[in-house]
Amino acid sequence: MDDHVKEDEQQLYKKVTRRSFLKMMGGLGLAGITMSLAGCSNSSMVEQAGGDGWLPQQYQGRGTWPAQVRGRVPIDPDNPSITRDDQKCILCGQCMEVCNNIQTVAGHYGLPLANDVICVNCGQCTLWCPTSAITERDDTQKVLQAIQDPNKHVVVQTAPATRVALGEEFGLPPGTWVVGQQVAALKRLGFDAVFDTNFTADLTIMEEATELIKRITGDIIKPLPQFTSCSPGWVKFCEYFYPDLLPHMSSCKSPQQMLGALAKTYYAKAKNIKPENIVSVSIMPCTAKKFEMQRPEMISSAHYWNKKGLQDVDVVLTTRELARMIKQQHIDLSKLPEQKYDSMLGEGTGAAIIFGATGGVMEAAVRTAYYFITQQQPPANLLNLTPVRGLDGVKEAALDVPGVGTVKVAVCHGLSNARQVLEAVRQGNAPWHFVEFMSCPGGCISGGGQPRSAVPPSDEIRMARINSLYQADVQAPRRESHENAEVLALYQDFLQHPMSELSEELLHTEYTDRGKKVREITA
Amino acid sequence: MSKGVLVDITRCIGCGSCTVACKMWNNLQYNQTAPDKGSGLNAENWTAVNRVQTEKNNEPVWRFVKYQCLHCEEPACASACFSKAIKKTKDGPVVYDVNLCVGCRYCMLACPFNVPKYEWNKTFPQVRKCQMCAGRVQTGESPACVSVCPAGALTFGDRNSLLAIAREKINSDSSYIKQIYGEKEAGGTSWLYISDVPFETLGFRTNITTTPLPHYTESILSLTPAVALGWGALLTGMYVYNHRRNEIAREEKEPGDE
Repeated sequence: MDDHVKEDEQQLYKKVTRRSFLKMMGGLGLAGITMSLAGCSNSSMVEQAGGDGWLPQQYQGRGTWPAQVRGRVPIDPDNPSITRDDQKCILCGQCMEVCNNIQTVAGHYGLPLANDVICVNCGQCTLWCPTSAITERDDTQKVLQAIQDPNKHVVVQTAPATRVALGEEFGLPPGTWVVGQQVAALKRLGFDAVFDTNFTADLTIMEEATELIKRITGDIIKPLPQFTSCSPGWVKFCEYFYPDLLPHMSSCKSPQQMLGALAKTYYAKAKNIKPENIVSVSIMPCTAKKFEMQRPEMISSAHYWNKKGLQDVDVVLTTRELARMIKQQHIDLSKLPEQKYDSMLGEGTGAAIIFGATGGVMEAAVRTAYYFITQQQPPANLLNLTPVRGLDGVKEAALDVPGVGTVKVAVCHGLSNARQVLEAVRQGNAPWHFVEFMSCPGGCISGGGQPRSAVPPSDEIRMARINSLYQADVQAPRRESHENAEVLALYQDFLQHPMSELSEELLHTEYTDRGKKVREITA
Repeated sequence: MSKGVLVDITRCIGCGSCTVACKMWNNLQYNQTAPDKGSGLNAENWTAVNRVQTEKNNEPVWRFVKYQCLHCEEPACASACFSKAIKKTKDGPVVYDVNLCVGCRYCMLACPFNVPKYEWNKTFPQVRKCQMCAGRVQTGESPACVSVCPAGALTFGDRNSLLAIAREKINSDSSYIKQIYGEKEAGGTSWLYISDVPFETLGFRTNITTTPLPHYTESILSLTPAVALGWGALLTGMYVYNHRRNEIAREEKEPGDE
């Protein structure tokens, strides 16, 4: 028995010799190479055809539209305000979410398109985009070129809302008040004059309150309620979706455009600078300002001097772009000494400061309108108009003004809230005299050009910035627009009085009916 | 059932989600100098959205046209491919197998829609084109581009039911052009288009035959076996005949020699 087993084992052992093993491996290798050369390595052509890539989770499930958030907003390559880097886009759908539900633009027009990609340029999508694929269109090069040109006199203005947000780009807590450092940084960047948009915010109030009173008393035949016109995203929204209500819109330009027009007329005259050598830059919390600046009617200085090619504002930079410029020059904003705005177009009151918050324009206008009507200082409750403060979507207030009776006002921010008010006005259910509209939720402090301190923007950060503005208002030596000494000097030396002929030419504007670009939703 | 996609050009808002989804799913490279919006198809742009500025009722209008492989029912590229690297699957997609491709680029010449593109800048180039996400379609999912469309411009489904949907749409709404592009073009394609402006103004090739292109070659090439065998038979016959005649001649000569 044992011998037998041994023999078998020996036979088995013999079978796998080194030679036979190598022969087997060689044979297998040859067969493998032959098969893979013949294309047999892929079991199914379909599986390896095209992608094995990745898509965000919401697109992975089977099923058809509509399912969750999908796709992204269309952006015209020629859009002056925003641009998108496809390489960074992950199709998360956040831009669609904010545009469709909060701003009610995308998906709120019928198809097919006319000859326009409908966009109000508000830039909220840039704040919601988690990968920064959507950003403001970068215009910093234009500014750097102008600064380096010795023949150019570069003036810059800063909006009320940038001073409570710029610091966030440099590690300061949300809402930090950096107005002095911002001026210092702009001077270090080489701007020849640093002006404050607050100056023209006060001027806007002078003009807009006058217009309101004239509407109420019937001196100008235009419908009530009067709509504010400071927010260019809101203005374009009204032009697209509610063109029939454009007569309600105040004819006042936005503070940015007023300052642009004055810089190339009033300031140029006083300083004896040729208007064509002035480059007018503005630092805004807003992407829609880039669109507003290049509207064809914003050339009052060209009309004034009768010179073609003049534009009231030449370049608009967002807060983020300014931060980028400051960082490129290796300036640490938080360590700069505070500096003051230049005179002539540099003074602002507390009323102007709060322009940056929702309800602020209304509160500022009420203070001055009260003074215009009664020739008395407004009572304390009008200096702290709590019903129009805060982040409620639509806010209302009723004020007793001696001589006029009860004045009813409303404030809304975010364009979905604007729709509610506009529908009421369309149906004739609007008891108000004056309505403030802000395109962005929270007002300018949460505008599309502001630092991305939270993605998507949070109410905490909005409130931090808003509180900072109201605090500055309380501490301001002058809190009413009609007390602004430089504004009063401007009227005395140049414009004469609110809504004078020259004021109308430089500070007021007209609107474009864009209703044809928007189709009714049919299906 | 053969699948397809219906493109309603009137619904497209030009957001380009489809082009991004295509790049993501297929791992395609971005090229800033040839973006997928406006510069047409290339080896890395399997789909592109082009803006066309045209007129409708004397009013200027913009239309956005998504373009990609139309996945012909009887693809000329597959018929031209002698190495069987391009095939039409039963689900509808026309797919490409790089392992079988010899790089002859006959498919590029054969395609009536100018779709297949070549990687000219590579040492071992491939032919590149939309594969209609064949792997997704096989499992019942829509192609990546369709899955992300926010405007409802793209509909995925059985080709026959898509044709019915398209027909109903163009018949119920007078603004549509009464034509379904892809229903008959090149013998029919898996991707179908409907539009409210004429297709030729949108850059579509409209002078295309309705005969499936492989049929033209098929009518001749189907004779190949007969010709080959017949020619062989003829030559063999002639050989046998000559051989036999020479043999007889030799045999007749031989007796004289004896």
